[in-house]
Amino acid sequence: MKKKLIGLVLLIVIMIVIGVIYFISGRAPKIVSVDGYVGGEKIELLEDAEVQAIFEEKYGVQADYSRAGSLDMMTADMEGMDYLFPSSSIAEEYYEDLHGSPQQSEIVLNTPIVLYTHRSVLDAFDSHGLITQSGSSYYVDMPKLVELIQNDTAWADIGLPELYGTISVDTTDPSSSNSGNMFSALLANVLNGGQTLTEENLQQILPQLEDIFGKLGYMETSSSDLFSQFLRMGVGAKPIIAGYESQLIEYAALYPDQYESMKDDIVMLYPAPTVWSTHVFIALDDNGQLLLNALLDEDVQKLAWEKHGFRTGNYTTVSESEDLTAVGVADDITQVTQVPSYDVMKVIIEQLQ
Amino acid sequence: MKKRLAALLITFCTVVAAAGCALLPVGSSSDGDADFSAGRGEAIRILSGSENQELEEIIADCADEAGVRVEIDYQGSVNIMQQLQNGAPDYDAVWPASSMWTSLGDTQHLVKHSQSVSLTPVVFGIRMSLAGELGFIGSDVSVRDILNAITSDRMTFCMTSATQSNSGASAYIGFLYALLGKQEGLTAGDLQDEALRTEVRELLNGVDRSSGSSDWLKDMFLAGDYDAMVNYECLIIDANEQLISEGKEPLYIVYPYDGLSIADSPLGYVDHDDDKKEEAFLAFQEALMTPESQSAIEATGRRITANGVSEENKEIFNSDWGVDTERILSPIQMPESDVLMDALNLYQTDFKKPSLNIYCLDFSGSMYGEGEEQLEDAMSQILIQENAQKNLLQASEGEVNIAILFNDGIISTFQAEDDSDKSLAKLYDEITAQEPGGGTNIYLAASEAYRICMDYDLEDYTPAVILMTDGQSSDYSMEFERGLPEYGFIVPIFSITFGDADPEQLEGLAALTDARVFDGTENLTEAFRSVKGYN
Repeated sequence: MKKKLIGLVLLIVIMIVIGVIYFISGRAPKIVSVDGYVGGEKIELLEDAEVQAIFEEKYGVQADYSRAGSLDMMTADMEGMDYLFPSSSIAEEYYEDLHGSPQQSEIVLNTPIVLYTHRSVLDAFDSHGLITQSGSSYYVDMPKLVELIQNDTAWADIGLPELYGTISVDTTDPSSSNSGNMFSALLANVLNGGQTLTEENLQQILPQLEDIFGKLGYMETSSSDLFSQFLRMGVGAKPIIAGYESQLIEYAALYPDQYESMKDDIVMLYPAPTVWSTHVFIALDDNGQLLLNALLDEDVQKLAWEKHGFRTGNYTTVSESEDLTAVGVADDITQVTQVPSYDVMKVIIEQLQ
Repeated sequence: MKKRLAALLITFCTVVAAAGCALLPVGSSSDGDADFSAGRGEAIRILSGSENQELEEIIADCADEAGVRVEIDYQGSVNIMQQLQNGAPDYDAVWPASSMWTSLGDTQHLVKHSQSVSLTPVVFGIRMSLAGELGFIGSDVSVRDILNAITSDRMTFCMTSATQSNSGASAYIGFLYALLGKQEGLTAGDLQDEALRTEVRELLNGVDRSSGSSDWLKDMFLAGDYDAMVNYECLIIDANEQLISEGKEPLYIVYPYDGLSIADSPLGYVDHDDDKKEEAFLAFQEALMTPESQSAIEATGRRITANGVSEENKEIFNSDWGVDTERILSPIQMPESDVLMDALNLYQTDFKKPSLNIYCLDFSGSMYGEGEEQLEDAMSQILIQENAQKNLLQASEGEVNIAILFNDGIISTFQAEDDSDKSLAKLYDEITAQEPGGGTNIYLAASEAYRICMDYDLEDYTPAVILMTDGQSSDYSMEFERGLPEYGFIVPIFSITFGDADPEQLEGLAALTDARVFDGTENLTEAFRSVKGYN
């Protein structure tokens, strides 16, 4: 009898436990895990614990990712992927060209293309009349810089004999990664007299672009790798690189100690003119859509600017943000040229491949 | 309250799930012996360049600190690239010498959290007195200056294989630029230049010995009698410490201003969708990057910033040896990937000194079945050129391939007619036609290989005997050792073991001849690739 009773009690207890589990799991917000391809420069944003907390608590979404170049991801295997998060509208047009309209796409973040260099290079450029300063921000005269590159000017010729080779700007591979791609767009416009390159002058400009990129040799495929190599390997290895403005703002915000130790040497140069890199989110399915909504959350957008350096709808001017650790961030980005159309960029990418 | 209960239940479920997992058979990644392992906890398997062998103590400390079990396999950077191209299914992380190999290999976009652990330039280490004679001390030296010393027979040098190791590849690209008189933008067209081809061949003729890995090159250098080697600054510092302790002359470090490259040693996570591994990886990486670990790494002669070295480790970077920490390291540009691959293929097939390969293949009775199968599979990886090309191990121009099939006697000897794909395939067919049987005498086969070597002018080849055996041999080691001086040369006898081979006997042969023993029981093909990296 007693045994039977114990059995019954045990059964009831088990049923209660199961019931409780059922009840709780039914009530707790279900976390949806979404997977997609992301350009390397946005990984810190997605890994940000504050951002992740908002994603999960307010939107019930958890962002998984694989890193891929903005253009590479358009041709990558999309099995099981819910979203693509490239860094340009060109990439988005490339998607449409290959796969048709996506479920939804929207510009989520913006950041201009900038050049990163070291103090000694800044000084050499300055003494050759390439630099103008406004507040704490530096602007580099792109037509003059392009002229130095095209003329195979040696570093030694501008007073930097300790640097080997000729003046060049290291970029990521323009055929696979966005910052390189946007830099090629910028160069195309500069070579076109500062006007957005159209099909009309394309054939004239192409050989010059090829020549400039042909001299670069091996190119990294990720903007974040290139930037960390720039910081790590010193002026000898990477005298100038092309990157995003967001990269330095983010680095300074996330690693203030390391930044402090190098901020006298590392310089951000705004190309005059520059181009915007617009980070478009492409939702491939409903789960992707969920993450898109989460990214557009006002608090996420605020974190995206203050901790990760992306200019967004509401956070585009420095005065609106009290304390950026990074030095030399421009208040506004004004000298901007329009990136050439997708059709033009497609020819450029193919030619540079 | 509810949250707490939920947390409790989640914990409970996790424990049950974890216990369940513990009962499952262990995954393939924890199978087999790693080249190095340390620590306890969640295991991460790292595929690393051999230059990190010097960091094993620090790695062990970091593994303990992070509460992670770290297992490391060592391979050349080019192999690491190829593994990555195939998705590196057996590895949770890669740690090649230079980030170039990660980006070239990561075609499947699996690598994340990649961070440079240390920096070291690829430099020339030249016997101090010779560097003085050549006028290299305290002056700006170009690759041309070094090449002139080599081609005028004033200096012999050794380097790692350009197709198997980062330091060799970097130096080789530096040579190409210097010979072309170009600073950047190496093109596929440049590589077709006949004058260049002749010069490169001449130059690589001065290579005494090549090696598949930088760390072993250093060991080989210390054991042998060479003038100079191309290697990482940190390994030359390490070699010098040993040379000094043996009362020998140290090496002087030359930084050719037009041929320098920097190894940035990136450690990156290979994402196979396993959160626990990722966490373990990040914990280990963080431990490596703490100021304490970084300082310990610097104390091994690696640099941790591009701007000089810290006060506490200053004496490691001994300026008497030519170590220059003030110098801005301005490396050459690596060519774009297609051109790089072209250049590496040319090195393997056209430029390097032809190999003289004598394969001693055990066809004793114990080889019957699996042993024979593995051996034949390995031979197909090297003799069938279509396979060999995948690993940049194709036969070079003028290469000689001989197979000695043995048991307790010499069964037969076959030689490929020439270096053509067809002749090599024929050699393969001849080998596979043999049936195993009889006892084992590896010393007889080794003597026969040496006898064959006498027919060749060894100056013109990079010779190697490659012994593949599974069994205990009758012991004629004394006889072999006594006979050695009569030959008047030393050709390395590499062994690849499988079955219950006696590593002691094989180690003995390797020690006598400046060679190495590879374990083929785990992955025979891999061992084979390692061996081939050395000639």
